[in-house]
Amino acid sequence: MKQSGLWVSALVVGAVVLAGCSPSVGEGQGGEGDGSGIVKVVLWPGPEGDAMADVVDEYNAGLGKDADITVQMTLLSRQDTFSKEATLMAAKSSDQDIYFVASYNVGQFSSSLDPLTGVDTANYFPVAVDGLSQDGELYALPVDVSNHFLLYRQDLIEGLLNDPAQVETYRSVAEQAIGEARDPKPADQWDWDDFKAMSAYFSESANPASPTQYGTILPARNLLYNTMIWNDVLWGSGGSWTNDAGEANLNTPEAVAAVNVYADIYTNGWTSPDSSQAEFPETQAALKSGNVAFALQWSAGFAELNDPERSPDVAGKIAIATVPGGKTHVHALAVAMNKYSKNKAATRSFLDYLATTDAMSIYAQSGGIPAMPAVLAANEDLNPAFGQIGESIDKYGYSVPVFPKTFEAYAKLAEDLSGAWIGEVPAEDALATANADLAKLLQP
Amino acid sequence: MATKGSRIDRSAKWVLAAPLIAFTALFVVWPVAQGVQTGLYYFTLQNPEITFNGLENFRKVFSLPGFWDAVRFTALFAVVVTAVEAVLGFGLALLMNRTFPGKKLFFTALLLPIMIAPSLLGIMFRLLLNGDIGLAPAVLSGFGLDISLFAPGTVVPLLIVLDVLQWTPFIFLIVYSGLQSFPTDVLEAAQVDGAGKLRTLKSLVIPMMKPVIAAAVFLRMIDAIRTFDVIYVLTAGGPGRMTTTISIYIYKTAFESGDFGLAAAISTVVLLALLPLVPLVVKHIAQPEGSRS
Repeated sequence: MKQSGLWVSALVVGAVVLAGCSPSVGEGQGGEGDGSGIVKVVLWPGPEGDAMADVVDEYNAGLGKDADITVQMTLLSRQDTFSKEATLMAAKSSDQDIYFVASYNVGQFSSSLDPLTGVDTANYFPVAVDGLSQDGELYALPVDVSNHFLLYRQDLIEGLLNDPAQVETYRSVAEQAIGEARDPKPADQWDWDDFKAMSAYFSESANPASPTQYGTILPARNLLYNTMIWNDVLWGSGGSWTNDAGEANLNTPEAVAAVNVYADIYTNGWTSPDSSQAEFPETQAALKSGNVAFALQWSAGFAELNDPERSPDVAGKIAIATVPGGKTHVHALAVAMNKYSKNKAATRSFLDYLATTDAMSIYAQSGGIPAMPAVLAANEDLNPAFGQIGESIDKYGYSVPVFPKTFEAYAKLAEDLSGAWIGEVPAEDALATANADLAKLLQP
Repeated sequence: MATKGSRIDRSAKWVLAAPLIAFTALFVVWPVAQGVQTGLYYFTLQNPEITFNGLENFRKVFSLPGFWDAVRFTALFAVVVTAVEAVLGFGLALLMNRTFPGKKLFFTALLLPIMIAPSLLGIMFRLLLNGDIGLAPAVLSGFGLDISLFAPGTVVPLLIVLDVLQWTPFIFLIVYSGLQSFPTDVLEAAQVDGAGKLRTLKSLVIPMMKPVIAAAVFLRMIDAIRTFDVIYVLTAGGPGRMTTTISIYIYKTAFESGDFGLAAAISTVVLLALLPLVPLVVKHIAQPEGSRS
């Protein structure tokens, strides 16, 4: 037979074999196990991983030892934990018994998780529990809670409020910036127009006498976590992702106003042009360096900024206020049972322990921010922000609807809107695209 | 009639090539085949049932929002960085092809960038170029240059510069190695004939180095098309989709959209689009001995 004929035959056979086989995955079945043995947990490194390590050690030395259960924790990279878990889930792997998940991806992962039953959710922030529930079932146990604050230079804001000359300058800058010669307010009373006016006042481009180079830094990088921060502006402006009927709701004047808060600040030079690539670390750097007067930031950022060793220039000068508009995104970082775990009984025992205030007290004392208001209140001396976190979540917290494509929706909105956030794309056009994309993702 | 000697030769060829064939089969052919196979299935995180859907994923690829933007940016990026790196790498190789004091030290320093993992380089540059704490903006500011390196107007040139900084040494190394086995008698003959340096370069060095240059450019081009790490760390493909490469696009399809079947289909389409380059390059690299002038 000619060589070319051999090659064609080989290709045809190969194609038929390929078509007949499905992608290889695991057995696809979990098991209860005998209630003892090793329980494997995935977490990501950082404050959460460090705090959970202490909880695991305590369990292994106490209740775990009595029950003959040993918990082993695997820390993956902070950047790619969820991607690696997605790969394990897609392969229906039994390698891990407990996955690390979050409110924003529990919907995406839910088909690989077992719902948790018999959990006393009374100890948790209701918004944290809601954010981990889908179709009435709780898919993960809240461990850590994140929300946003307005972190601001208390010395600079109070200096402005107490100096009549500065107040006059502020009024003049505000008139240019927002069309209204309004007086400066304490940070916990700001609305989004105050946020813009203050951004202008503390920028050298609008106020040559400004003590800072820029008013603020905007987390405008194309990143799903930045959508979570921008959501505060959206919700605080009276908008939301969906209407009461659960339909996409981004094509609204409120959403346009929310985009334009960012766009106006960026295009007027009241923030560094580098804001287009900014997220948590860049916001920390901007506040630490003293180059900005305030910023929207994750609650986890405050401790470092208040530490004289890590932030010598600004420690003791940074204060916390509620996000302008009175709405803060809340998400919970959580742990969930792998549907394909072969040791579910032992896994459940460990999860029962994690749901106790004792476990979460150790977590708080080791640097975590537990999703239990009573534990936060009892440990305020460890982290001054704890009291405000609890209050902020209770009064101002909202959670985005949980559906299978929530995670993708966050990412899609960042992609669709990040150009508009920096004024490269008109707000209406970007929101029309975002609304259409969200509508597709909301479909079952 | 085949002699015993020629039968042994034929067997020896296969025996000696067996490890390479096994390695290629296991680490190249099989994963690629798995990828193609995955593209034939509806396979998402949200739906645990994997179902065969034929060419549906492949059909979808060409109408995906953002796909052509990613293709355009990847093509532009790959062509520009490869061209710049080829010129600079070749120039550096010519410059280094002589003896001078400190050559070994300089040579080592030149190779340092390619020894750093691209993702680590991305993190390093993210710190170095940060407007608030980075060394680069501080130095530029000292010269009166207040440039924002991550602004929309500067971010693409920035990514190109960073790629050139990291990968020019790669082309330099390949071309320099080629120059070490360049026949010196040919150069001496040209010199005797009165040919100047530029004429020698144009008429002798470049034509005779064509296979080496082609190999270097091909390898670099393929790598540039696959760029992921540095850009993902620095910009995550933004603002919007401005710096989204095809690799980032595939990654997001898999791990943000959770659609492994579609991501595999896009990967296969990219592979098929690049395959026609291979015979072109082989033609320039793998010329029979007697056909080179």
